[in-house]
Amino acid sequence: MTALELSGVAIGDAITPLTRTVTQAQINAYADASGDANPIHLDPAFAVSVGLPGTIAHGMLELGILAEAISVWAGGSANVASLSCRFSKPLRAGDTITCTGTVVSVDEAERVATLEVGASSDRGDRVLTNGRATVRLSR
Amino acid sequence: MPDQSHVGRRYSAPGQRIAPESAAQMAAAIAGPDPVAEPGAVPPTFAAVYLLSPTFAQLFGDAEVGIDLAGLIHAEQSFEWPEPVHPGDIVDSTTEITAVDAKRGMTFVRLAMEAARSADRTVVCRGTALMIVRSAA
Repeated sequence: MTALELSGVAIGDAITPLTRTVTQAQINAYADASGDANPIHLDPAFAVSVGLPGTIAHGMLELGILAEAISVWAGGSANVASLSCRFSKPLRAGDTITCTGTVVSVDEAERVATLEVGASSDRGDRVLTNGRATVRLSR
Repeated sequence: MPDQSHVGRRYSAPGQRIAPESAAQMAAAIAGPDPVAEPGAVPPTFAAVYLLSPTFAQLFGDAEVGIDLAGLIHAEQSFEWPEPVHPGDIVDSTTEITAVDAKRGMTFVRLAMEAARSADRTVVCRGTALMIVRSAA
């Protein structure tokens, strides 16, 4: 995959939103893949015992889905130079996440686009906030 | 409970191999019901495996710091990837406690982490995280 061309990227451009329903099965698969077997993600009774409404997705799984959305726009994950966010609200098992991003600046000298990125759930919660990503561009 | 005396503690996990099959497993877990977007690539957040997991395991196991996992919230995360990570790379990973602040019954632990290729010391991932530890009671 190839990087976006600098001349083809402008402030206000939006990535294609990525919507995905995150089932308990997917959370279980992410626990296996990441090695993070914290029971708040896997055991409903334990999650409730620590004050959660039920099991929740790993924040890093949500960030992974957001990174995928940015990577597709960027022409490959190798072009994603940075990504940051706040895990503001939990994403519950079975909820649907929608990841979005918009270009807010383009550095022509460095050939880098900066995007504001984030994600919300179908409950109306903003689950990933204060998100920023930078993407490497080609000439 | 973590306190300011723990600032500067470092947890090192040298020799982390970017195993293609593990990267593929993570890509599939991120994709869930959908096809993997970029087969064969290392997902950017595979840093969870080669950087966070092996160093955080040491942090969480540090009895002197005493983080209670049941009360732990991963509140913020940032990553930079100065160079792409490739399947088969071997990296040395570290996490350092950079700040600890107690406020309103919660302890805010700030971490900085870095992964560099073992062969040439090229930094492939740099990050920061904020963990919030809620006091039991």
